[in-house]
Amino acid sequence: MDLAVTTLLNALTLISILALVGLGLTISFGLMNVTNLAHGEFVTVGAFTVYFVQSHGGSFWLGLVAAPVVGAAVGLLLEGIILRRLYERPVGAILATWGVSLILQQGIELTFGLGAKPVVPPLDGVIDLGVSAYPVYRLILIAIALLTLAGVVLLVARTRFGLDIRTVIQNRDMAEAVGINTRRTYAVAFGFGAAVAGLAGALISPLATVLPQMGVNYLANAFFVVIVGGAGSVFGLIAGSTFVGGLTSILNYQISPSLAQALVLLSAIVIVRFRPHGLVSIGGRA
Amino acid sequence: MTALLEAKDIGVRFGGLDALSGISFSIAERSLACIIGPNGAGKSTFLNVLTGTQKPTAGSVLFRGNPISGLPLHRIARAGIARKFQIPSVFPSMSVADNLDIARRGTGSAPALEGDVIELIGLSAKREVKAGELPHGEKQWLEIGMAIATGPSLLLLDEPTAGMTPQETQATARLIHRLQARLAIIAVEHDISFVRALDADTLVLHQGRFFRRGPFAEIEADPAVRDVYLGRR
Amino acid sequence: MSNRTWFVTFATGILLLALLPNVVDGYMLGVMRDALIFGLFAASLDFFWGRTGILCFGHACFFGLGGYVMAIVSMMPDLAQQTLFGLVAAVAASALLAAVIGYFMFFGGVRGSYFTIVTLALAVIAQQVAVSWSDVTGGDTGLLGVPPLAFGALDLSGDIASYAAVAVILVVCLLGLRLVSVGPWGKVLTAIGDNEMRAAALGYNAAQRLTLTFTLSAAIAGLAGALYVAMAGLVAPDLIGLLLSTEVVVWVAIGGRGTLIGPVVGAVLVQRAQQEISSYNPSLWPLIIGCIFVLIVFLLPDGILSIAQRLRGVLPGRTR
Repeated sequence: MDLAVTTLLNALTLISILALVGLGLTISFGLMNVTNLAHGEFVTVGAFTVYFVQSHGGSFWLGLVAAPVVGAAVGLLLEGIILRRLYERPVGAILATWGVSLILQQGIELTFGLGAKPVVPPLDGVIDLGVSAYPVYRLILIAIALLTLAGVVLLVARTRFGLDIRTVIQNRDMAEAVGINTRRTYAVAFGFGAAVAGLAGALISPLATVLPQMGVNYLANAFFVVIVGGAGSVFGLIAGSTFVGGLTSILNYQISPSLAQALVLLSAIVIVRFRPHGLVSIGGRA
Repeated sequence: MTALLEAKDIGVRFGGLDALSGISFSIAERSLACIIGPNGAGKSTFLNVLTGTQKPTAGSVLFRGNPISGLPLHRIARAGIARKFQIPSVFPSMSVADNLDIARRGTGSAPALEGDVIELIGLSAKREVKAGELPHGEKQWLEIGMAIATGPSLLLLDEPTAGMTPQETQATARLIHRLQARLAIIAVEHDISFVRALDADTLVLHQGRFFRRGPFAEIEADPAVRDVYLGRR
Repeated sequence: MSNRTWFVTFATGILLLALLPNVVDGYMLGVMRDALIFGLFAASLDFFWGRTGILCFGHACFFGLGGYVMAIVSMMPDLAQQTLFGLVAAVAASALLAAVIGYFMFFGGVRGSYFTIVTLALAVIAQQVAVSWSDVTGGDTGLLGVPPLAFGALDLSGDIASYAAVAVILVVCLLGLRLVSVGPWGKVLTAIGDNEMRAAALGYNAAQRLTLTFTLSAAIAGLAGALYVAMAGLVAPDLIGLLLSTEVVVWVAIGGRGTLIGPVVGAVLVQRAQQEISSYNPSLWPLIIGCIFVLIVFLLPDGILSIAQRLRGVLPGRTR
C-alpha cells in the first residue's frame, strides 16, 4: 500500500512534468507542423534560471516566476529569427533547430561552467498522507502542473486568443481572410509553449541534475508523449504523458533507469505502428 | 453483360453526417460514364469509394467480382484501376518521359494502347521537359497519360479539365473518346460543356444521394436536374 | 548532378585517393583512412535521405551496431576467418535491424518528421543499451583489442594496406549506390519522394521500397562501422549514439544531399576542421557545429558542391 501510493505519486510527478514539456511540442509539432529539436533547451533554460536566481540570493519562487519569462523570450527569439522562415521547409527546421539546440547547450556551458548545478528545494518537509509520507514540494509541483494545464484548456476554449489559435490551425488562409494576424498567433503560441517548458524546467530543477545537456533527455520523451497521445490536443497530451510517465515510473522499480527508458521508447514505437495518429486522434485530421 | 465495376447501396458517414447514402452504380467494360452534381453533392467522396481509397460505411464495391474497399493503393492499381487525381499530381522533378516510364513499369501490365502514350497525349515534343515546368493543361494530360500507361481496364478521372482552356477541354474530350475503345472510363466533372462533349451515360448526385441516371441529352433536358444545379431544390 | 559531371568528379576522386599515399606520411594516411570510413557512412545515409527525402536522425545505430557485432564476432576465440565472419555478421545485423524498423515505420505509415523523431529516439535507446548491457558491450569503456582486418594470409593491418582496402571498398560502394540511384529503382524512389500517393496509385508498393532502401542504406552503414572498429581496434558507446547520428547528417548536408560523393567530401572536410579546432579549444567545436547546422539551412541548402553548379548557372547557355 505504502509503495503503491509512493509509486503513484512519483508517476504523477513525472506525468506532470512530461505534460508541461509536451505542451509546447503539441503546439509546434502537432499544430504548426514544425519539428523543434531545441525544445528540450527551454527546459534547461528554465532550470538554469532558477539556479541563477538562487545563486544571486533570490528565492526559489522568484526563479519559478522568472523561468517561464526567460523561456518565452528564448522561444520568441527562436521563432522570430529562425523558425518563421522555415514553416514551409520541414527538414530545414529540423536541422536548424538541432543547431540552435547545440548552440544553446554549449552557450550555457560556457556561461555557467561544467558540471551539475545545485538547486535548493523551497520546502524540504514531508507530509503524512495517512498511508505514507511524501515530500511536500513534489505535491506542490503536481498541483502547479495541474493548474497550468487546466489554465491552458480554459485559455484555448474560452478566450479570444484561443479562438484565433483554433481558427489558424483549421485553415490558415481563411484565418488571414477574416483578419487574424497568423504570424503573430504562431509566434505567441510558440512563445507560450516555450514558457510552459521553462516552467517545467524550473519545477523539476530541485529534483533533477541541472546540466546544460539535460534537455535532450526530455526532448525524446516529450516527442513520444505527443506522438503516442496524438499530436495537437490537450487530451492526447494527457494520455501520452500518462503512458510514457506511468510506464517509466513502474519500470523504474524493476530494472535500471536507462533500460526502462529504452523499453518505454520501444513500446511507444510499437504503438505508433498500430495507431499512427496516436491514442487520442482528432477525427479527420491526418 | 457482367459489370466491370459494381457499387451496391453505398453509404458513407463522416461523424454524424451522411456524406453518401444508398447509391448503386455499375459500369461495363469499355464504356464511358460521367458523374455530375452541384458542389457538395458527394462526387469526390463517391469516386474515392469507387477507387477503394475510401471505405464505405455501408454497401460494397466489387471490381471483376472482387471486393476492393480498403486494399492498399498499389494493389488497387495492380488490379487494373487507374486514377487521375483532382489536383494534377505528376512527379515534378522528373522529365515527362521518366514520368511515363515510371507509370509503365508500376503495375507490370501491358499498356492499354498500342503506340506511344506520349503521342496520344500530344507531348512528344516535350519528352525531356521536367514535369513540374509544364503548363497546367499539359500536366493534366501527362497525368492522364500516366494513368493509361499503367495498362488499366478502368480509368477514373476526377475533374480532368479543371483549369483548362475551352480548346484544351475539347481536346481532352476527344482523347477520352479515343480511349473508350480500349477501357472503361468514369469521369467526375462539373464543367457541363465537357460533359456535353462526352455525351455519355450520366449519373447525377444530389446531397449525397442518387438523383438521376441516363444519357446526357435526357439529363440535360430534365427540368429537375436544372433546378438542382440552380439551387432550386 | 548530371551523369557526366558525377563521373568526372568520381574519377578525379579516385585519382586523388590513389595519389594520396605518395604525398602524406603514415599517420596522416591513417587519419584519412578513418575519415573515408566516415565518408562511406555519410554516403550510406545520403543514399536513403537523398533519394527519398526522409531524414534518419539515428543512422549511427547501424554504424555502431555493425561495429559492436564486428568486435564481438572477430574477438571470438578459435574462430577461423574472423574478419570475414565479423563483416558478414555486422552487415547482416544492421540490415536486419533496419528491416524491422522499416517494417514498423514504413508499413505503419510513419513518414517525414515522425520518422526523424523515432530514429532520433532509437539512437538514444541504442546508446543506453550499449552503456547498460555491459556484459556484452563492455559498458562505458566498450570493447578493446579488436583484431585488424585479415583474410587468411592476406594481412590488411599496415598503413598502406588498410588505407587501400578502405579506399577500394568506398569506391566500389559509391559506384554501386550511384548505379542504383540513377537506375529504375532510384527513379521509383524519387517518385515516391516527390508524391508517394501518386506512386502507389501507379502500382508501386512504397512501404516495401522504402524498407528495402533503408535496409541497404543501413547495411552499408554497418559495413562502415565494422571497418572502423577493425581499424581502430576498439568499439565504444559514442559510435552508436545521437551525437554521431547528427554529425553524419551535417556531413551529408554540407557535402550536398543526393550526390553521394559530396557527403564523402563533407565528412573528410568537417572532420579535419573538427580536429584542428578541437586541438585549439575543445569547447568551441559544439558551438561551431551548431552554427554550421543553422547556416547550411539558410545559405547552402544544396551543399558545397552546389557552389560550383551555381557559379556555372550564372554563365549563359547552361541550365541545370
